[in-house]
Amino acid sequence: MDFTFSEDQYLFRDSVGEFLRNEVTPERIRAGWESPTGRDDALWQALTELGVTGLTVPESHGGLGMSAVDFVLLAQECGYVALPEPLVNTALVAVPVLQAVGGELAATWLPKVADGSARVVCGLANNQLAEDAHVADLLLWCEGDALFALHPGQFTARANASVDPSRRLYAIAIEPGVEPVLTGAAANAVGGLAMRRGALGAAAQCLGLAQRMIDMSVAYTSDRQQFGKPIGSFQAVKHHMANVAVRLEYAKPAVARAAYSLFTDDPGAQRHVAHAKLAACDAANLAAKHSIQVHGAMGYTWEVDLHIFMKKAWALAGTWGDSGFHKACVMDYLMYDDARLGATGTFS
Amino acid sequence: MKLSFSAQDETFREEVATWMGENLTGEFAQMRYRGGPGDEHVFVEERKAWERKLHGGGWTCIGWPEAYGGRGATIEQQVIFNEEYARAGGPGRMGHIGETLTGPTLIAYGTDEQRERYLPGILRGEDFWCQGYSEPSAGSDLANVKTRAIKDKDSGQWKISGQKVWTSLAHESEYCFVIARTDSESVGNKGLGFFLVTLDQPGVDIRPIQQMTGTSEFNEVFFDEAVCADSDLVGAPGDGWKVAMGLLGFERGVSTLGQQMLFQNELDEIVRLAKVNGASQDPALRQRIADAHIGLRIMRYNSMRMLSGGGDDGSLQKEAMIYKLYWSSWHRNLGKLAMDVMGPESEVLDAAPYELSRLQAMYLFTRADTIYGGTNQIQRNIIAERALGMPREPRG
Ligand SMILES: Cc1cc2nc3c(=O)[nH]c(=O)nc-3n(C[C@H](O)[C@H](O)[C@H](O)COP(=O)(O)OP(=O)(O)OC[C@H]3O[C@@H](n4cnc5c(N)ncnc54)[C@H](O)[C@@H]3O)c2cc1C
Repeated sequence: MDFTFSEDQYLFRDSVGEFLRNEVTPERIRAGWESPTGRDDALWQALTELGVTGLTVPESHGGLGMSAVDFVLLAQECGYVALPEPLVNTALVAVPVLQAVGGELAATWLPKVADGSARVVCGLANNQLAEDAHVADLLLWCEGDALFALHPGQFTARANASVDPSRRLYAIAIEPGVEPVLTGAAANAVGGLAMRRGALGAAAQCLGLAQRMIDMSVAYTSDRQQFGKPIGSFQAVKHHMANVAVRLEYAKPAVARAAYSLFTDDPGAQRHVAHAKLAACDAANLAAKHSIQVHGAMGYTWEVDLHIFMKKAWALAGTWGDSGFHKACVMDYLMYDDARLGATGTFS
Repeated sequence: MKLSFSAQDETFREEVATWMGENLTGEFAQMRYRGGPGDEHVFVEERKAWERKLHGGGWTCIGWPEAYGGRGATIEQQVIFNEEYARAGGPGRMGHIGETLTGPTLIAYGTDEQRERYLPGILRGEDFWCQGYSEPSAGSDLANVKTRAIKDKDSGQWKISGQKVWTSLAHESEYCFVIARTDSESVGNKGLGFFLVTLDQPGVDIRPIQQMTGTSEFNEVFFDEAVCADSDLVGAPGDGWKVAMGLLGFERGVSTLGQQMLFQNELDEIVRLAKVNGASQDPALRQRIADAHIGLRIMRYNSMRMLSGGGDDGSLQKEAMIYKLYWSSWHRNLGKLAMDVMGPESEVLDAAPYELSRLQAMYLFTRADTIYGGTNQIQRNIIAERALGMPREPRG
């Protein structure tokens, strides 16, 4: 048994993380809010050159063949900087969906993802809206009992605005006559896979978002003075941040466990992802609540960067299954007669 | 104890309901349920006109004594007025700072001249007020204000210089009450004055601050030798802290009754949505909705208990200290509950570029509830130190 990540996994995270922290600044994010697509082609290009867009693409198709366990640390880094580009969707959801469909679709698109010549994203109709459909060269769209692989022109995308101005959301209407690539049980299985992976990606990003909000709050409360001292010296302020730190630390192993379950195709993966999403969203929510509080009125402004991270956490809480959905999943298992509860159920 | 309204009260209720039904119509109908906290930027001119309409019916400042143009309404009548106002979807009151803060303060601490000069404009819905307390270095530590007021020897007028911040609705107001240092050598809560300052003058510069809602309700206000007549100083130089704190007592008085009705409307909206979108089937959400209902009831009972025992001037007993902490925490939870009931929809705006739905705006605004008017941490310090008599935390 080993619940830790390897030295290599950390090294890789650190190097990509450093790139993201340098490049994806709050100023750059705000610039994206004003641009028509909200996407930064130069940034995507740079990510491609680093090889991160193809991390999870199998080596046989020109990628690095990384697993969900390898990628989950990077997804945290994406959360830390509130990366607007659809990297987590592409690497953690769209690529595995392409692999699951296989055949010509995978053979055509996986190399393009790896070399950065195409952007592929995945969405679920029961999640209602598709992220980044406006810049996708291929949209993998699960609707009802069918999976579609849609090219621009095969669907209309009606823009919806998100509370997080970095997120671009679209209601999808498929043009008549477009045939699905999978139907029935096969399509449902891929839809389930997409849901689990999307939820894991959201959970991992929430860990990064929570960490960022803690870091900002620690810096602010060390600097801001009231009553002649840094407000961070008041117990009421530091206990708030300590509570967030505990919540965050205890969400991390749930996310690691879920990533491992996806990697090993564990039959309990759905439930493990549900734990992860619940715990991580909860940590990010607490981080947002307390961070705004310790910033005082500053934390309620548009100018202070805190709301960038708070709003991403808000958006991610409801997407890829909200808390009711994931709690029901845990409850259904616990109430099921053959549930492996009891002392030997640690890894079930 | 008597927990019911009298027959006279019910007649009064009829009167309010009828008036609202007949008057919140036509051009005013579009403002129903709008303009509340977090939504203050909408229908500003229309809501100002609505204040004048309310005055026409005798419905502004109903709790003020008749001598000052009010109705001298009983607590019960004020409760009823607020209930019926909210039930009809009456818009957020533009005049509430003047009516609930400036007015009672001038009635308690002002001179006849000040009352004659300022109360009628508030009553008629013509003059709007804002609160100039906070400064960049004086938030929780309010006594650290640096704004100076210097008396000009020749003219006898005060010249005010300094900066206020987070001043709600300053850009829509005629006047601001400002606390400023009359004794430039003083520190802390000594040596302050409470000034009634006219905003439309060369020495005042108002700059809106954008909030995380994308809209601007509060402002930075810069004073550069802004002029204030000596007769517009409330109390003597050095009395500023006493007056400022007296005013905060009014803030937690009857003005809370209308707020609770807004809360009730929000909770009703959440219940309605939960029934429509299926969230009402979720056991965890059902329990939180029930908790919210219980919490609001307790809040309301406690206010009425406080008000039944309070004096006619709205001054409150010790329990008043617990009120801000209770409602702000309850409301912050309600904001999160609303988003959880909305589920995936909670992320989607009503319209681009940044038009929040009513519940989304409420959720964001509740992030500020635990901050303005004394943060939750400061409220707990007050409860522990003043209500329980625990040792003071070392400060400064
Ligand atoms: C929406 C909104 C509207 C407002 N409207 C007005 C207005 O109209 N007029 C006006 O004058 N002001 C207004 N304010 C300002 C408000 O009163 C201040 O924000 C508030 O007093 C807190 O001050 P601050 O923002 O400087 O936070 P700070 O005082 O810097 O506090 C930051 C954090 O430190 C904590 N803290 C500070 N001191 C202590 C301590 N001793 N012990 C424990 N914790 C401590 C606080 O609780 C908070 O969590 C408004 C604020 C908001 C958000």
